[in-house]
Amino acid sequence: MNLNHQHTTSKGDTYCLEAMKTREHSTPTKKPTSPKPENAITIAVSSRVLFNMDLEQQIFEQKGMEEYLKYQIDHETELFKPGPAFPFIKALEAVNAQLRDLYPESEELFDVVLMTNNHAHVGIRLINSINHYKLFIERFCMTGGNSPIGYLKAYHTNLYLSADSVKVREAIEEGIAAATMFSSEKVTQVSETQLRVAFDGDAVLFSDESERIYKTQGLDKFFEHEKAHENKPLDHGPLKGFLEVLGKLQRKFYAKGHRMDCPIRTYLVTARSAASSGSRALKTLRAWGLETDEALFLAGAPKGPMLAKIKPHIFFDDQMFHIEGAAELGTVAAHVPYGIAQKLPPKKTKDAKETDSPPK
Amino acid sequence: MDPKVRNSAETKQSGSALVTAVSCHDIFDLSAHQTDYNPLPKGAAFSFISAVQAVNQRLVKHNENETLQFEVILLGKDCEEQIKSKIFDSAKHYGLKIGKFYFCSRGEFVRTLQANSVKLFLSTDRDDVYGALQAGVPAALLCQQADQQVQDQLKVLFSGDLIGLSEDFIDCLKDFGFSAVQIQNFKAAKGCIREFAALIGEMRKRFGCEDSPLHTILITVLGSRDVCATALKTLRGWGLDVDEAFCLAGAPRNPILTTIQPHILWDDGLHNMKGVSPLMGMSS
Repeated sequence: MNLNHQHTTSKGDTYCLEAMKTREHSTPTKKPTSPKPENAITIAVSSRVLFNMDLEQQIFEQKGMEEYLKYQIDHETELFKPGPAFPFIKALEAVNAQLRDLYPESEELFDVVLMTNNHAHVGIRLINSINHYKLFIERFCMTGGNSPIGYLKAYHTNLYLSADSVKVREAIEEGIAAATMFSSEKVTQVSETQLRVAFDGDAVLFSDESERIYKTQGLDKFFEHEKAHENKPLDHGPLKGFLEVLGKLQRKFYAKGHRMDCPIRTYLVTARSAASSGSRALKTLRAWGLETDEALFLAGAPKGPMLAKIKPHIFFDDQMFHIEGAAELGTVAAHVPYGIAQKLPPKKTKDAKETDSPPK
Repeated sequence: MDPKVRNSAETKQSGSALVTAVSCHDIFDLSAHQTDYNPLPKGAAFSFISAVQAVNQRLVKHNENETLQFEVILLGKDCEEQIKSKIFDSAKHYGLKIGKFYFCSRGEFVRTLQANSVKLFLSTDRDDVYGALQAGVPAALLCQQADQQVQDQLKVLFSGDLIGLSEDFIDCLKDFGFSAVQIQNFKAAKGCIREFAALIGEMRKRFGCEDSPLHTILITVLGSRDVCATALKTLRGWGLDVDEAFCLAGAPRNPILTTIQPHILWDDGLHNMKGVSPLMGMSS
């Protein structure tokens, strides 16, 4: 029995059992079914990236768990403000609506799961806020302090977004695409109908093998190496799988004639240069049977201004330097803590237009 | 005929003790050749006893006069005489603090539970658990631990969509193919778990938010997030603020259970009722 979902009367109306609860509803309410985890594209988000919990986080850090929980319970009916992942989640729902129109029987949809370390005491406040914003999040795990990794796997999670970089790192080590998100002062308006996702190349879509060469042997060696191995596909990085599922959904739209106005658009935003090292990146994608709608080769130029033009709902990069640069200009950027860039200090240059500037 | 009762020297006569009855077959391995051994080998749910004793130890540490502790009594169905002695000796050997041992016939075990103010009956045998629930005895599944390793927390899980549904709505379930008997059973199950939930809730409050030897968990399997929210509020009203909450909204339950590894699983049975009408085909 499916308590929250469709029941068909003799007249063919569908209504959800939830509506039966009060018996006062004479008009049917339609609530879409949550897809089965193995069919869906599961996006797990923590509470702090879904909503802004900066104040509460401060209370936790300064006054401890008991005070934090007490605060949450005392303010249970107060709404949270949207967090960094909020526009991304809304865009996922917009894509779902369009997918349902075109493929009403299909379960290949985004399924957003709230995956939080939070104590269940905070549950009611979170559900109240989810209800207010009419988010389609029916599934949640409030682990009361336990690691989310087992649950991420149980839900066949395709992407995990959290404010906690330790958990994100753990997830990546377990082969789950994941990124850390941060609150930001400035956030630009993004599309409500077209989901836009931007990816860095090395150590995000691709492995960090080439970046290692740059970091340990310098720029010249990097160019040499990339040229010599131009036709050898790079190894895959932690977000390759996510690009793959986005591509799969895009093809569903193309099949119904929505190539030009596809509600999903992907971007490669790399510091590789179009003239040289960029070639290997494109050939790798092609070898994988993947593509991005746009590929931007910045040859070391800062990514911020380009991203501000693209206005993606989320941008994945493995280097905090780029994350910060993006955020400064209002782009929601998520850090992928993977590869060599995490172990060595960042190389920052003042003038990125010089030819000997770093590839990222 | 009265069941044979043996009292150990450690019986606690305490009004607010959480009297928990466990089947011998779960604590010791009583299968064919294993009973040759003395002490008996550990059973599937042996680690449960260790976890319970750890909770009791912590309770007493906070307050040496603590009366709200787990009081474990052991229930043996159709046990031969020599097995009974081995059970008694094995309990002593492993240092299990067991207050009472009840040996009765299969037919009497529900009555035995009813006669002894058992706050919770635990068994790995699903039929035993539902039999007890139908007779109004609060009962839950005792889960086999994956590795027999001792977890540092006793995990008590309520799989309770019913808790999140109002009495009126449960009545409405007849419109969805459930029989009057089934609906009565749902209400009985919900009713009799309340006291146990309240006791566990009170016990949980003896510990702080972090570093508790006792962890309480709510899962709703089929209901929407609002059903889960109502269940959280209902449990709170009964005196239990759970530590962890999961809303599956139709997702399979087993992968989540495997990750949680609860010791005690109270299941309202709503999602795995046999013989329900076709539209209710959700698997758990």
